[in-house]
Amino acid sequence: MSKERVSRRQFLSYTLTGVGGFMAAGMLMPMVRFAVDPVLKAEAGGDFIPTPKKVSEITKEPVRVDFKFKQKDAWYESEVTETAWVYKDDNGKIIALSPVCKHLGCTVNWNTDKEHPDQFFCPCHYGRYTKDGTNVPNTPPLAPLDVYPYKEKDGYLYLGKAKPRKEA
Amino acid sequence: MKWIPQDIDTYLNAKEYVDTAVIPIYSISFGGEMKQSAAAAEFITLLTSQLERQFTGRLLLFPPFTYLKNENSEKVLNDLQNWEKNIVKGDFKHIFYLTSDIEWKAHEEKLGGALIWLPSLLLEQMTESQKVEIINSQVKQLLILFTQKWQEKG
Repeated sequence: MSKERVSRRQFLSYTLTGVGGFMAAGMLMPMVRFAVDPVLKAEAGGDFIPTPKKVSEITKEPVRVDFKFKQKDAWYESEVTETAWVYKDDNGKIIALSPVCKHLGCTVNWNTDKEHPDQFFCPCHYGRYTKDGTNVPNTPPLAPLDVYPYKEKDGYLYLGKAKPRKEA
Repeated sequence: MKWIPQDIDTYLNAKEYVDTAVIPIYSISFGGEMKQSAAAAEFITLLTSQLERQFTGRLLLFPPFTYLKNENSEKVLNDLQNWEKNIVKGDFKHIFYLTSDIEWKAHEEKLGGALIWLPSLLLEQMTESQKVEIINSQVKQLLILFTQKWQEKG
């Protein structure tokens, strides 16, 4: 036994400090974790969804590309199919446009209006867009079609979340 | 537009652009015909929701008009005519009914709206992508019919 004997009072105060310290740490740690949480969060919006379209197959003519992903709506998880109009512009750059009309959300089609060939056409209220997605003035839409960011991976086209552009 | 609060808000703000009502129609039966009835419901639901995607800005997709298969057909017809009266009052110029129940063909001229009858397909054995393809091709044909109707009355 050591010469310095631990008194009852000392023993109790050590024990209390120790246990109290653990409890305080137990309470503070989650608080600190929550406070810095936004900093630690992984960057969202980097979700690229694979499409069945091979990059090498993309031509200058816009084609419909359907791609699927899972969407959770409250308790209900469903598979959503989204569509993009994909083509290469004159510089060989890939353009992926959202088919959702900026007027009221119908689906636009490529080259279906005989009077205005080589344009995107909305059958609902005869809205029109030029090939690069710019809305034609004096038709109902007030903004150009949204653009999908894209990536190439293993030869296939991956699309992100469609982003709106500035008004034409 | 679908029958959900957000879409109804959009509808109320853009009423002058939305002049078409689409009403899915299917029956409910029991016993041996139960499965057939469910298959028809699935088909009509998928078809109308795809149609809604194509024409979001011009049509309002109503909740389905459902009835019991063994119910008196006069009564069922009366109910639908009642729906029609209210929909017309709600400023819809074009009304489309979509069904795969052949019996409606007999009552076609008693309805003001256009009745589109399509034979139900057995979607059960198909893969997801086959389903999408088949429904899309049907919607493409309906697209022509819809645009024609819209042009008729200007």
